[in-house]
Amino acid sequence: MPDSDNRRIRKTLTGDFPPNPRADYVELGVTTPFSFLRGASEASDLVATAHSLGYDALGVADLNTMAGVVRLHAEAAKASLRPVIGCRLRLVTGEEFLAYPRDRAGYGRLCSLLTKGKRHDTSDHWQAKGACDITLADLAAHADGVQLIVLPDDSLTARLPELTRRLPTLRHIAASYLYHGDDRARINRLDRLARAHGLSILATNDVHYHAAERRPLQDVMTCIREKTTIHKAGFLLEPNAERHLKSPAEMVLLFADWPHAIRATREVADACAFSLTELAYHYPMETVPPGETPQSQLEKLTWEGAAARYPQGLSGKVHGLLVKELEIIGLKKIPQYFLTIHEIVLWARAQGILCQGRGSAANSAVCFVLGITSVDPAEQELLFERFISLDRDEPPDIDVDFEHERREEVIQHIYAKYGRHRAGLCATVIHYRPRSAIREVGKAMGLSEDVTSALAKTVWGSWGTSMGEANSREAGVDLTDPLMARTIKLAEQMIGMPRHLGQHVGGFILTEGALHDTVPIGNAAMPDRSFIEWDKDDIDELGILKVDILALGMLTCIRKCFDILRRQYGVTHDLASIPQDDKDTYDMLCKGDSIGVFQVESRAQMNMLPRLKPRKFYDLVVEVAIVRPGPIQGDMVHPYLRRRSGIEPEDYPSPAAPHDPDELRAILGRTYGVPIFQEQAMKIAMVAARFSSAEANQLRRAMATFRSRGTIGRLENLMVGRMIERGYDPDFAKRCFDQIKGFGDYGFPESHAVSFALLVYVSSWLKCHYPAAFACALLNSQPMGFYAPAQIVRDAREHGVDLREVDVNFSEWDNTLEPSGNSFALRLGLRQIEGMSPVAAGRLIRARDEPFTRLSDLATRAGLNGRTIHALAAADAFRSMGLDRRAALWEAKALRDAPDLPLFRSGQDEGDEPAAHLPQMPLCEQVVADYQTLRLSLKAHPMAFLRASMARQGFARATDLEGVPNNRRVRLAGLVLVRQRPGSAKGVCFITLEDETGVANLVVWPKVMTAFRKVIMTARLMQVAGRLQRDTASGVTHIVVESLQDRSDVLLRLSDRSLAPPLSRADEVRHPIPAPTLGHPRNMRIIPGSRDFH
Amino acid sequence: MQERSGNALPDDLPQALSVEGTHGPVIHAVNRMAQMAGVTTGARVADMRALCPELRVDHADCDGDRAALERLALWARRWCPWTVAEGGTDGDCGLILDTTGSDHLWGGEAEMLAQMEADLSMLGLSSRLALAPTWGAAWALARFGPVRAICSDTACLPVAALRLDGETVLLLNRLGLRTVGQLADLPRLSLARRFARAAPTRTPLTRLDQMSGHLPEPVSPPEAPPVFRADARLAEPIFDPTHHLPDLCAALCDQLARTHQGARRLRLTVYRTDGEVSRIEAACALPSRDPAHLAFLFRDRLEKIDPGFGFDLISVEAPVTEALGTQQADLAGRTDAGLELSQLVDRLTARFGRNVLIQLQPAASHIPERAEARVAPLTEAPVIRPVQAERPQRLLDHPEEVHVLYAVPEGPPAQFQWRRRSYRVARYQGPERIAPEWWHDKPGTRLRDYFKIEDEAGHRFWLYREGLQGDGRGGIPRWFLHGVFD
Repeated sequence: MPDSDNRRIRKTLTGDFPPNPRADYVELGVTTPFSFLRGASEASDLVATAHSLGYDALGVADLNTMAGVVRLHAEAAKASLRPVIGCRLRLVTGEEFLAYPRDRAGYGRLCSLLTKGKRHDTSDHWQAKGACDITLADLAAHADGVQLIVLPDDSLTARLPELTRRLPTLRHIAASYLYHGDDRARINRLDRLARAHGLSILATNDVHYHAAERRPLQDVMTCIREKTTIHKAGFLLEPNAERHLKSPAEMVLLFADWPHAIRATREVADACAFSLTELAYHYPMETVPPGETPQSQLEKLTWEGAAARYPQGLSGKVHGLLVKELEIIGLKKIPQYFLTIHEIVLWARAQGILCQGRGSAANSAVCFVLGITSVDPAEQELLFERFISLDRDEPPDIDVDFEHERREEVIQHIYAKYGRHRAGLCATVIHYRPRSAIREVGKAMGLSEDVTSALAKTVWGSWGTSMGEANSREAGVDLTDPLMARTIKLAEQMIGMPRHLGQHVGGFILTEGALHDTVPIGNAAMPDRSFIEWDKDDIDELGILKVDILALGMLTCIRKCFDILRRQYGVTHDLASIPQDDKDTYDMLCKGDSIGVFQVESRAQMNMLPRLKPRKFYDLVVEVAIVRPGPIQGDMVHPYLRRRSGIEPEDYPSPAAPHDPDELRAILGRTYGVPIFQEQAMKIAMVAARFSSAEANQLRRAMATFRSRGTIGRLENLMVGRMIERGYDPDFAKRCFDQIKGFGDYGFPESHAVSFALLVYVSSWLKCHYPAAFACALLNSQPMGFYAPAQIVRDAREHGVDLREVDVNFSEWDNTLEPSGNSFALRLGLRQIEGMSPVAAGRLIRARDEPFTRLSDLATRAGLNGRTIHALAAADAFRSMGLDRRAALWEAKALRDAPDLPLFRSGQDEGDEPAAHLPQMPLCEQVVADYQTLRLSLKAHPMAFLRASMARQGFARATDLEGVPNNRRVRLAGLVLVRQRPGSAKGVCFITLEDETGVANLVVWPKVMTAFRKVIMTARLMQVAGRLQRDTASGVTHIVVESLQDRSDVLLRLSDRSLAPPLSRADEVRHPIPAPTLGHPRNMRIIPGSRDFH
Repeated sequence: MQERSGNALPDDLPQALSVEGTHGPVIHAVNRMAQMAGVTTGARVADMRALCPELRVDHADCDGDRAALERLALWARRWCPWTVAEGGTDGDCGLILDTTGSDHLWGGEAEMLAQMEADLSMLGLSSRLALAPTWGAAWALARFGPVRAICSDTACLPVAALRLDGETVLLLNRLGLRTVGQLADLPRLSLARRFARAAPTRTPLTRLDQMSGHLPEPVSPPEAPPVFRADARLAEPIFDPTHHLPDLCAALCDQLARTHQGARRLRLTVYRTDGEVSRIEAACALPSRDPAHLAFLFRDRLEKIDPGFGFDLISVEAPVTEALGTQQADLAGRTDAGLELSQLVDRLTARFGRNVLIQLQPAASHIPERAEARVAPLTEAPVIRPVQAERPQRLLDHPEEVHVLYAVPEGPPAQFQWRRRSYRVARYQGPERIAPEWWHDKPGTRLRDYFKIEDEAGHRFWLYREGLQGDGRGGIPRWFLHGVFD
């Protein structure tokens, strides 16, 4: 992957910030970008500027939100500044206040107030997302302990008596000297008004950006907010750039005539004793039975679980691990965290929902014996320190995958058990990315849609964090044009600004007390979902524990497969009971026969399997981890393969003389001396580069989120330098670090790879031994995985599964297995039919106590409407009645949709119908119609109809490629299955074609790609000429393309309607890869990496 | 594809028009180059841009297209009186002409079609023409038949030629019914039972009958909009048309009054005996049908026409009109003052040209000299919240530099010299800081700090200092006087 900036860099402060002496003035009216499209400077900029201007404390007051306070809190802590936490409230009646809580209780009330405004509107209905309705009465009810400062407007004089009466904590009127011409007169007026009501004025510069240079960005934000352009915005914009952070000295000078206004800021700030670190966090206590402490309960459950996991008795190693872990958990005071997750997992198991922990939690033996994770500490080397460490002051992270179709049940269980006031989803802050930034800034600057689109570039565009000059030149934009240059500069500033809040995929916060005392809760756009205002990083910052309830499609598939095994084959299995080290399973994987199997089904993985030749479980762990940008970028793949196959001797780089030459053997022994996992890279840093645990921690953080490029560069020099110093080969040192950089994008820690490898093995075993049941479960769990139903069905057929058509007399809603001889045949279900609803299917199945013989019979007994019958007929589901597709459609059209009244039941008004002679539907048209209605066809492959003419023209079939010698030129044609251009492949595009005999893999070099761009982007049926390349060791073949031709037109010959063959779900032209979201890959719902990289 | 006047791009660049779809803009129409590049209508613009990066996309003006088609239908009345524009806004539209009894005027059907194609191409339009006994058949032949088909066989055309929706066509295809002929061969009863109770676009039987003429589908052309025009045909050529003008205007106003219209544009055309034609145009700010006023708009302008050997035809037209009800003078018998103003504007504009008369309007800008805009007279003013701060009544066109004595560089002046007179500052208010409009002004433009100044004699001035000391945008800030308060 090119030196990848495709992850957003969360700007953060680094460096030394000695504490400032106490300043006379504290800025309280600070707006951050979390007052969306208002504040134009991020917390890091504000804090750094405040520090350099000599502030010792800085307020934060975002409009009706607390979303930005954690970031300011965190940055301020780094710069030795005291953050003063508050918010800016705007009532529905228009009054605005700065609100600063004095203490924890006041802060809780403020959060509750915001929650009230965000959850319910003024008439107590479900509030729309993003809105916040607060009335004066609400404020008065929650104002205790909250210092209020009213921001003056025209009506203040009239409203002030009422406000002071109803809000006893309102002690100040904000006054700003913003060079509006009448500042002195206005402030004097406010001063008199304040005195008359026993209040005081309070100075604030109403800060919207850290420095005057940010005014253009703030103006553009205003334009975006007000949906206008910069040329039309007029008086919506501020006349000058004075709303920046000014030094205390300058503020004192501006308010020289009103020293009490300056003093007031200090008084308010000093009265705010509250800090976010006080948010003592309590885990729910439900999980602890009376008479037990959380720790004793956890210990009890742990030993019970251990006894169940190891019926033959505990080994000394596991016992030792458990004792050590329990001790650390006790010291960290987080036993309830484990108990809570244990409860959720237990509940899910009781409901028959499959689940499995992933990520670093798999390093914990306690998690294993509690049944949260599946990595056996007796067999694998666990690194508990990666999960929890006494050195690190940050919470552990337990992520649990659930079946994707039933995750919602788990979520609703959590809401039901703990209540919406105690359980909430985390937020995800959606940031401006290059494309959205340039689009919106361009629009505000008055650029046309054409120009912004050219800049934003569409499919396969850049995901970089900056709009580089090269990008714009590529798009044909004249950078010397001042308007364009300005737009790009502004867009660059905009990139990374928060845009809005969304809900996290599954991160739950659970508390003992009311959650809205800690953080405001708002409504999501989704019905019945509410989420807190802080995102994952914020929660980590405050040390709050969250549970990730994630969804994994493969678990659904495996559970459905287990169900089928139990029902049809009478075999009961669970994740743990699958026989280990099954030879047939590994044989199958070695052939690269892995369609449908978890993780290793992508083309890159399928190519890797025959090379890596997995023979034992640990090989699968490596297989999962190796086809990732990390190892590839670090050039670790080929050394590993060579050493594994014995071509190259195992070699452990060693330091120079005084040091232990075998120090790396212990770390890298499992992987033949090649670092593949994150942990190994880390350990190398610690052992070979002598990183201290603090430095290693920095490195780990840098690996996790790639926070700051400055940090990475510094660490690189440090690590490579020290390794060379200690006598390592510079090349090796550099490679190790490159790999760490690669992990910044997508790397797999070993524990995570182990968890996934387990699912790889289980799914492979099922596919190997029960291909019919596995294909059936896969189809029933769609959409998921890499392949479309057509490919799954085709693969099942190749494995000897007998497939049967959808039929109204035999099909259930789901795909099912029906007995056929002494095995089972896979009967396609009604769910495959486009336009079929489960409700209608249910009615049909319930009414099927005897076979349907006529269409009208079906319609009356099952009560189906004409539309549904039409859908069934179009899908050719009436064969058992002796009606083919055409006849069924003809009959279906004649059915009446109206209720069948007795009077009209007998006979037709028009009399008997004369026979109509419709032509026979040829097979090729049947196949086309199958694809249109079912997205697959069991009758034939579309390419089969073209084969005769293709063969005459000298086209090879996919199976023929096996016999073609290496480097021979070949021509072949096929339907396009997948088109991918992974970022790590330097512009190489990979295409998979399918014909009736199999698939062929194409490699398209960038130059060819440019020449045949249109063909690649549009062709459904492609004809290629190229050279065959075969890897001698593994037998993997692909065709290096020389020319391409779009032959979609021949599909037209099959039928009048053009056939749109289903593309794989991984195709990137149809489904452009979503930008990687912020955060560690283990937090992704569905691991995106395999799609990303091939 | 609609072409906009003025900015039409060359035909050899791929272009498309887009409309807003549910998931972002979709392609509405394409030109030939775009079609060849693979751009298809109905696809998303983003996808098509990926396919053809140099594609130019503009917003489609569906209403405009519709209006243009309707105008074209009227234009087509040169061939026969019954013409309609058909089709909705979905892009599949055309013209239907009932040429029964007209073709012989053009030398027969084939010649008429050729003539039509030639005339349309003169307008820059490409066309597909067909002639058939029924609307349905002509529609089908024009789209699916041979070039300039005349009464060709429709049986071999695809069922899509029956003006059916996509779903019905798909169903018919799945039933193996590909051509109109196959469909027509089916028993009527079978078709009726299956397709009877639906909209015409979903009932093949209705469409078949319309095509064959079993169901009448008359062409009911909309009435052409009225033309307001008064002519004076003269037996003898004259040299000065002035005397005919009042009568012509009166006649025109009579016509306008009958349909309650008022003229917004006027065109006077004089035809010289030697075939030369001269035109004078005039416009009204408000619709008017006052003959005296209209005649006045041409006064003195007629003289500028070179009479040559004299005129023998003068006509006055009102090409653009607006509804204008009957007006009543107010109870005092006077006419509306607004009307008088508008008539004054018309007369001045007619006499001195369009750019002479302007109206000042507030504009939304903090920069004082940009806070007003010059617009055409009687333009409706936009609602603009004026600046809160007080502005001087008189603003100098160009701020005049003054020499200033001050106590502190950032502070107000203590004394200044303007137009060789010294003023001592008695009182001041400010500063009001106005930053340059960064999107508008040259980089390096300095901000202004405005002060309201009162001198010892009570004169009030508006001064500003350009820039701040040490703002890095030039040397010592200069002072200017920008306005005077009365």
